[in-house]
Amino acid sequence: MKSAKDNVELISIPMVVDVPYRFAAGKYMTRFLTELRDNGKFYGIRCPLCNRVQLPPRIVCAVCHVKNSDWIELGNEGTLVGFTIMYLPLTDPTTGKPHEPPFAYGSVRLDGSDSVIDHFLNVEPVVEHIRIGMRMKVALKEREDRVGDLGDILHFDPVT
Amino acid sequence: MSERVAIVGVAQTVFSPKRPDVNYAELAYEAISLVLESTGLSVEADIDNAVSCSHDIWDGQTISNIGITDVIGGHLRNEEKLAMDGSTAVYYATIGILSGEFDCTLALAHTKMSQTNRNIVNNTAFDPIYSRLLGLDFTSAAALQAQRFMSRYNISEKQIAEVVIKNLANATRNPWVHNKGFYTLDQALDSPVISSPIRKMDIAPDSDGAVAIVMASEKKALKVTDKPVWIKGVGACYDAHYLGDRDLSECYALRSAAEQAYRMAEIDHPRDEIDLVELGDEFSYQELLWLEGLGICGSGEAADLTCRGFTSFDGALPVNPSGGLLAGVPTNVAGLNRVAEAALQIRGEAGDRQVGDVRIAVAQGHSGFCGQHQCVIVLGRE
Ligand SMILES: [Zn+2]
Repeated sequence: MKSAKDNVELISIPMVVDVPYRFAAGKYMTRFLTELRDNGKFYGIRCPLCNRVQLPPRIVCAVCHVKNSDWIELGNEGTLVGFTIMYLPLTDPTTGKPHEPPFAYGSVRLDGSDSVIDHFLNVEPVVEHIRIGMRMKVALKEREDRVGDLGDILHFDPVT
Repeated sequence: MSERVAIVGVAQTVFSPKRPDVNYAELAYEAISLVLESTGLSVEADIDNAVSCSHDIWDGQTISNIGITDVIGGHLRNEEKLAMDGSTAVYYATIGILSGEFDCTLALAHTKMSQTNRNIVNNTAFDPIYSRLLGLDFTSAAALQAQRFMSRYNISEKQIAEVVIKNLANATRNPWVHNKGFYTLDQALDSPVISSPIRKMDIAPDSDGAVAIVMASEKKALKVTDKPVWIKGVGACYDAHYLGDRDLSECYALRSAAEQAYRMAEIDHPRDEIDLVELGDEFSYQELLWLEGLGICGSGEAADLTCRGFTSFDGALPVNPSGGLLAGVPTNVAGLNRVAEAALQIRGEAGDRQVGDVRIAVAQGHSGFCGQHQCVIVLGRE
C-alpha cells in the first residue's frame, strides 16, 4: 500500500547567487604582492612594540593595537607546521575550476616570520611522505606569468 | 550601573565614490585612529567593548567584522557585529553601558559600495522563493513605496524634488561628502528616471567610507571630554519583511521606534522640542515619510512643510543640514553618520554646516528595503 508520504511533492528552486566583487588589496597587501610578483620576494610586517613579524602584512598589530611599519624580507624557505590531504575537489574562486584531488595543503612558517602561510604542497599526497618539521621551499610561477595574487605561488617543494 | 551614556568622540573618513587605495580594514582604521587620537583614549586602557556594523554580502566575506578585528581592537577582546544600519551600533552600545557591563565602547560602521554591484547585492535581501526572481532591488522596492505614498497623499514629483535640491545644496557646506551642488527644480526633474517615480538624483549614490564614535558611561565621559553628547533616548523596531504585508505609505516601525526614544528622552512635542534632525534619505521621498514617522508632522504633511522651508538649513527645524545620504554616504554607515552629524551639531563643531544652537537632535537610521528596520537616537547637550 502506498503511504500518503509518497504522494507529497516537494518544490525547491535552483538558484546561483552570483555576486561580483573586486577587492582592494589595500596599501599593505599591495606592497606584499608587488614584491612577490616583480622580485619573487616575500615581505612580512614587523610590529614596533612586540616585534612579531606578521603575514599577511596588515595595518595594525592585533596584539599591541599600534600601526605596523617595518618591512622585513623573509626567506623563500621555511618549516612545515601542519598539513592535510584533500579528497574533495575544492573550487578556486578566481577561476571557478576545482583543484584535482587528492592533493595536499600545508602551513609553512617562512624563515624570519612569526606567521605561517598556507598553500599547496608539491608532494605525493600520502601521509607517510609528509611530516611536520619538514623543510619546504617556495616555487613561484615564471616572472612573465606572475599577476600579483597568491596564485603566483605554485606550491611548496620539499627541500631535499 | 551607569545612569547616563554619552558620545565622547566622533570621527569620519571622507566619503568618496571609490577608494581603491585601501581595503576595508585600512578604511575603518582611518576613522578609528582619528577618534582615539582626538579623545586621547587607547584600546588597551580605555575601550572595553566594540560594536561594528557592516554586511557580509557587501563585504564579500562571511562574518564581515573578521576584516576589522585587528583595527577595532577586537583581538582576544570583546567585539560584536550587527548586519544592520550603523545607528544600531549606538543602540547596542548604549544598552551595554546602561547595563553596567561596559564602561567605554567603540562603535564603528564601514562599507565599500564600490567593490560590488548594489542591485545584485540588494536583490539577495528578497525571499529567494517568493520575490527574488523578479530581480527586485532596493530602488525598485523604494519606487513602489514612493508611488504608494505619493498617490495616497497627492504628493507631486516637484515636491519630492525639493528634498533633492535642499539636501544637495546643504551638502556644499559639508567637506566629507561628494555629491553636492546648487540645482534648480528643472534640473532635478530632468534627471533620468531609474524606476518611476524615482530619478537618478533621488538615489543616494554609491560611496565608500567609515565612521567611528566612542561612547562612555557618565563617570568615564566626564573624565574624557567637557563636551559630552548625551544619549537621551533610543528606540528600534522591525516591520514585516514581505512588502505585501506592509502598508508602504505608512511607517509603523519608525513610529514605534520614535515613540520608544521620545518616551525615554521625555519628549512630548517632537516638532517643538527637537532642534535638528538627521535622517536616512536613501531615496529623496523617504525624507518626507520618515519625518512623518518621527512625528514631526501628520501623515502626508511633510511635503508641504518642506516646500515652505520649515526643514531648510535656515528653517525652524533643519533636516539633514549635512546633505544627508543623497550627498553620498555609504549604506550601513548611513545611520552612524547621522548620529555623528547630530553629535557634531550639539557640540557646535559642525563647521560650515553648523545650524546654530542645537540642544536636542534626533538621528534616524534604517536597514532593509523600504525602511523595514528602524532605529531612532535622541541626543542632547544636557
Ligand atoms: Zn605588536
